[in-house]
Amino acid sequence: MLKKAERERHTFPDMMLTLLVLVLMAFFYHGIHALMLAAVCAAFSLAAEMISVKFLGREFRYGDLMCITDGIILSLMMPASMAYRAAAAGSVFAVVCAKNVFGGRKNMIFSPAAAGYIFMLTSWKKDMLSFPETYAHTGFFADTEGLASSASHIYNTTGRMEHTGYEILMGSFSGPMGGVSILLLMIAAAVLILRKDISAGAFAGTIASTVLFAAIAAEHGTKMRTAALAVAMNMVLFAAVYIVSDKRLAPRKAHFAFFYGFFTAAAAYILVLTMAKENAIVIVSVLMAPAALGFRTLEDKIDILSAEEVSAKEAE
Amino acid sequence: MFIVNEIIVLLASNLILMQALGTSTLFIAAGSRKQLLTTAGIITIFTTTGSAAAFVCDKITGGEKVISLLMYTVSVGVLYMLLLSALYFFSRELFVKIRRYIHISAFNCAVMGTLFTISGKAAQDSALMHFGSYVGAGLQAGAGFVIAALILSAAYGRLCSAEVPASFRGFPAMLIYLGIISMAVYALS
Amino acid sequence: MKERKTSVFDGLLADNTVLSSLMVISPVIVCGDTLRNAAALIAAFSVITFFSVMISSFVPRKIPYAARIVSYAVISSLIYIPVRIAAGEFWPEAVERIGIYFPLLAVNSLIVFQTEARFFRMKRTNMVLSLVFYILGFDAVMLVTAFVRELLAYGTINSMMTDTPMLISGLGKPFGGFIFLGMLCGIYRKIRSAAGHRKEEEQEE
Repeated sequence: MLKKAERERHTFPDMMLTLLVLVLMAFFYHGIHALMLAAVCAAFSLAAEMISVKFLGREFRYGDLMCITDGIILSLMMPASMAYRAAAAGSVFAVVCAKNVFGGRKNMIFSPAAAGYIFMLTSWKKDMLSFPETYAHTGFFADTEGLASSASHIYNTTGRMEHTGYEILMGSFSGPMGGVSILLLMIAAAVLILRKDISAGAFAGTIASTVLFAAIAAEHGTKMRTAALAVAMNMVLFAAVYIVSDKRLAPRKAHFAFFYGFFTAAAAYILVLTMAKENAIVIVSVLMAPAALGFRTLEDKIDILSAEEVSAKEAE
Repeated sequence: MFIVNEIIVLLASNLILMQALGTSTLFIAAGSRKQLLTTAGIITIFTTTGSAAAFVCDKITGGEKVISLLMYTVSVGVLYMLLLSALYFFSRELFVKIRRYIHISAFNCAVMGTLFTISGKAAQDSALMHFGSYVGAGLQAGAGFVIAALILSAAYGRLCSAEVPASFRGFPAMLIYLGIISMAVYALS
Repeated sequence: MKERKTSVFDGLLADNTVLSSLMVISPVIVCGDTLRNAAALIAAFSVITFFSVMISSFVPRKIPYAARIVSYAVISSLIYIPVRIAAGEFWPEAVERIGIYFPLLAVNSLIVFQTEARFFRMKRTNMVLSLVFYILGFDAVMLVTAFVRELLAYGTINSMMTDTPMLISGLGKPFGGFIFLGMLCGIYRKIRSAAGHRKEEEQEE
């Protein structure tokens, strides 16, 4: 019990560390506006959390600080040119409507960042899917000219990838602020899995499914290249680390988490392949929420039955 | 592979998620999983048989909007009485158990909305103006209601738990939950 | 816990048709995104529900329950016919936009079920008053929802442009209706609960 509490205490600083590195990378590529977006999302998430916790008659505790990570995750899924107002609205929606109305961190149903992303996608679709070029430093107030589709969209619709492997690894292609830094995301995944801050089973399932389906469905180029691009594009790696593998939502048992991640990624990949749906994995993760809840209910029943068996044996 | 796309299409045309039809009935029936699935099943019976009746009504009236409602209401009323009578004579025990589900399933927005939706689509596309198409659409609508019922039942325990703030516990949380699922389906479709 | 005294005014605030009883929510969610839609729906709902319940109150109680339910639905479908024709004259565009939700008003649960469960157990004067306030309860929620959603989703009030700094187009969609109504329900319950506690404290004093 104490170990679990200790583990939970270091989740927040670990997540913040990995997210701040991604934010810094976004600042390097896109300038001050990227940094300000992350700050606005974090600030509004924290404010919304504090106000809603008070409205619900609870005390604000250390665990509630995870709202800041949710806000930053949401900001990293946006284009660097996104308007601050929209980002603020998305953050407030994520914290209030997708989390706190259901009881907050003790009764999570959806990933707040994923729900906030979908809210912004449906309300400001054009802005959310238009990205500045890498190294195009948008000022404090973003310059909305010169925006284009993401590399993922071009890859989904044409099968062409103009960027080299090095550029993809370093995140030097247009796309969501944090979803493109593939090398950093791989390092973040390794750190968070080793520190047990995210669900290794769900992560493994997501990557395994994407690689498997991409290898089977490979049309352009080698199977390995197709599989690598499938993981690098459409925020798959980013979602695998910060959304699908979120321990607050993923099933607790490794094998259940694996299947949860596997089917989420499979459905997302099929949608990318058949409908060229950009960043489908984030949307599918919200649709898979009932399945995740179903797994958790099953786990609770298994735990209850196991406990009854143990106490029956002890009684004997 | 295309099953995923079919599921998305089914969700995108879902009565509850995209048209908010039958939401009140779904919440009333959400008390238990058995209740929810029984209601969903009976609504499927009504949407399927009602669609068949709607086809006959549309053939008679020529799809005239103003009297369609009266024709559909009379048809559903006849089906309602027939179902109750059939159940009563088949098994009294089953009749006592199931009759309240039939009462809440017959005249509600899910059933009537399905009939109007199908009729509207047939009016726009004459290729859909045949019996098989009507019944198929009715069955699809019922299946969509069952899917929405399953989606809600998966989270029902959580939405009514003590962790949810008292003012949002139950119906408000269910509305927001369905809204977020609907938002995700909209983003995909 | 003390039992709350029921009143003929309940339908408007204490036991609001939409926010408390969760009846007739489909039109609010899907069509409650502009004031013009709301006006057409309010007028139709009010007339259909009032006259349907009043005429249905003369249906003999001796006939079986199922037959009574069918007769209520048939009566409201008949009343729908002149209302539809009149609405087509006053709000032709709104009626087209509202689509299938217009006829669905005639088979709303207030007419089909609440008549038996609530209205027909009251004396006629109380029934009429209670019915009026239940109708006003729906009207009020419809207006508030339509006003806020139109302002935030489209930046207009009754189709007149305003200077809204930010538009949230998602609020104009059905999912926006779900979420907005859910939030409104929660806030309503919170206010009702707080008002209830205050009354109890005042009574104890």
